Amino acid sequence: MAAQRLLELHAVNKSFGGLACISELDLHVNEGEIVSVIGPNGAGKTTLFNLITGVYAPDDGEILLDGKSLVGLEPHEVTNRGVARTFQTLRLFLNMTVRENVMAVQYGKTKSTVFEAMLRLPRSRREERQIRKRAEEKLSFFGQRLVGYRWDQPAYSLSYANRRRLEIARAMATEPRILLLDEPAAGMNPAETHEITELIGQLRKEGGYTILVIEHDMHVVEGISDRVVALDHGVKIAEGSFDAVATDPRVIEAYLGLRKAETK
Amino acid sequence: MADDVTQPRIGVDEWVASVEGKRERYRGPVGWLRRGWDSSPPAARLLVFVVPAVIFPFVTSEGNLFRYGLITLLYALLGLGLNVTVGFAGLLDLGYIAFFGFGAYTYGYVASAHANHHWPAELAIPLAIAVAAAVGFIVGFPSRRLVGDYLAIVTLFFGQAFVVFVNNANRINFWPFNHTDLTGGANGLDNIDPLNVFGWKVNTTKEFYLFTLGAFLLVMIVLYFVSESRTGRAWKALREDPLAAEVMSMPVNRLKLMAFVFGAGIAGFAGAIYGSVQTGAFPGDYDIGLLITIYAIVILGGAGSLAGVIVGALIVNGVPELLRDSNQAEWLFYTALVILVLAKVRPWQKLVVVVGGTLGLGFALHAIADAWFPRWTAGQPNDGKLAHWVSHWMVLPSHATQLANWAYVLTIALILVLTLLHGWWRTIVFIPTIYVAAFAWENLLVENTAGATRFLLLGALLVVLMNVRPQGLFGTARVEIV
Repeated sequence: MAAQRLLELHAVNKSFGGLACISELDLHVNEGEIVSVIGPNGAGKTTLFNLITGVYAPDDGEILLDGKSLVGLEPHEVTNRGVARTFQTLRLFLNMTVRENVMAVQYGKTKSTVFEAMLRLPRSRREERQIRKRAEEKLSFFGQRLVGYRWDQPAYSLSYANRRRLEIARAMATEPRILLLDEPAAGMNPAETHEITELIGQLRKEGGYTILVIEHDMHVVEGISDRVVALDHGVKIAEGSFDAVATDPRVIEAYLGLRKAETK
Repeated sequence: MADDVTQPRIGVDEWVASVEGKRERYRGPVGWLRRGWDSSPPAARLLVFVVPAVIFPFVTSEGNLFRYGLITLLYALLGLGLNVTVGFAGLLDLGYIAFFGFGAYTYGYVASAHANHHWPAELAIPLAIAVAAAVGFIVGFPSRRLVGDYLAIVTLFFGQAFVVFVNNANRINFWPFNHTDLTGGANGLDNIDPLNVFGWKVNTTKEFYLFTLGAFLLVMIVLYFVSESRTGRAWKALREDPLAAEVMSMPVNRLKLMAFVFGAGIAGFAGAIYGSVQTGAFPGDYDIGLLITIYAIVILGGAGSLAGVIVGALIVNGVPELLRDSNQAEWLFYTALVILVLAKVRPWQKLVVVVGGTLGLGFALHAIADAWFPRWTAGQPNDGKLAHWVSHWMVLPSHATQLANWAYVLTIALILVLTLLHGWWRTIVFIPTIYVAAFAWENLLVENTAGATRFLLLGALLVVLMNVRPQGLFGTARVEIV
């Protein structure tokens, strides 16, 4: 039996003015799979994430989550359907505490109105307890790093690597089915990069998430991916196992250019 | 290669463990206060304000209660509403005072002789809140996608349009409002009823004070609950980063509109009370001047902080009121001067030079003037003990106005020079600066404390405070994304 397709893109196009950022892109991610997207700078990887999360609307084509279209939904509606992302350039709520960061994003998972909050009605209080508990749970996923007194510290006081972890915790707290990680290892030292590699594996194993990840670090890509998709100029140039994609001549060309002898 | 990296154990971070003991420690009496404040529960913090606020009307005169108590409370209530839009959600709303005006005019329309309605307050106040909130919705809906400066422009325009509207809505002449006088035009609405809350006639200053205190506490507590709820957190999140908030499941446009309407409703509440206190609503009361005052309160107290609103209102309203009386102003001026010198002049050698130099300069000049230029000490000192003491140190010429004007200009010049100097030069220039400032104060400013002086001093105070604590007194230090 073929694996269940969780996320599917069919012939998606997106251009800004005359610049085609994504053209005729087909992509799918199966339930429980970890798929990496690679490609040189400007290949359209982050645009792809922006399309999936509803920040941009595709010019045409179809984006399906579990068979239902995401096209035309506002970003917060897409998140509520079960898609969560992190940002390549970190976008934490820097002046809120670590715990508040993770609590705030459960907005879509809770229902009590502002009037219930004004009067502290039972539903509001109950949800508040749940939000807090869930936030602390998600933060505990990272061991000692984001717990204890850290909960009440502002996010700006965190180190770079911990900010990346907090972004992941924040994405987890929206209770997604699929996590989109935009360069989770960018700016990390080798030890931290290695840790991120293990972490992504754990996210699938313990968190049960399906993961689509953009990554430049080939060790990470090699370590985590079930499947690798290579983009260049918005076009899918290769897809398959890491070894197959890494040795694909078109991928090598995209990264390194052609050798003189071959251009003749 | 991954192989030659030592295997990290997930979740073990020695730095985390080591930094635990290195957290910021506050020392001294300030530290003691801060720790106490930080560790006390919200209800206890509220008591710090409530207890004196409840005792106040029973120990002071009617006039003081109005000037220091009631007006401060009304400002603070207005500040709470602005704090939602500006402090929580980060929307720069420059039309805020118009909502205050809508509240006052709505209350005035349904509870005065103007249209011969005399609604009780339990109906009129909710109506005023609803009208202000509805107008907030109407203004907010088309501008909910605007950010920063653009929202500021639209709302500023709205604030001005409101003043024009109330000035002219006394001769509305189209169906179905033929020959309707809604606002009384430039004359405003007068003879507005006192509040009549379930039969309780709120009439005296004390009653108004207690009613407003109740209203303020109610709004304060409700806002505290909201700020600790999903909505409050979402407001703060969208202030920090609207795109991230939207992608993280928060409907940003709807939340912005909600914050806008919330603020407007609170302003409408304050407006209804204010209209009744004034027994009138006049177009001039709802202009830019008040807007700036309320902004000063919120920013001074620390945008986003509820306690800050109270302290901000006390300072922005209390200081100019204290300065009205020249004797109190005298004390305030010299106390501030002494604190400034003690806090800013370090180390102690410099402090000795400044204090000694200033005193020496004054007594020397006074002695010289006494001996050779009697006109220079012929002026009369002001009333009060402090002014009498000062007159032994400060030269007080007869007919000093012209000289004092120049001294005032010279003071400003010297302060500007002072900011450019460093080291011992600064210390030395400090001495004549203090003396010239005190000269201008004794011979010119102190006579005008009820007029321009108090606002000059308030301005100076705001400049100093915002320099010392840009985040406001109760605000948390903000960090922008670099």
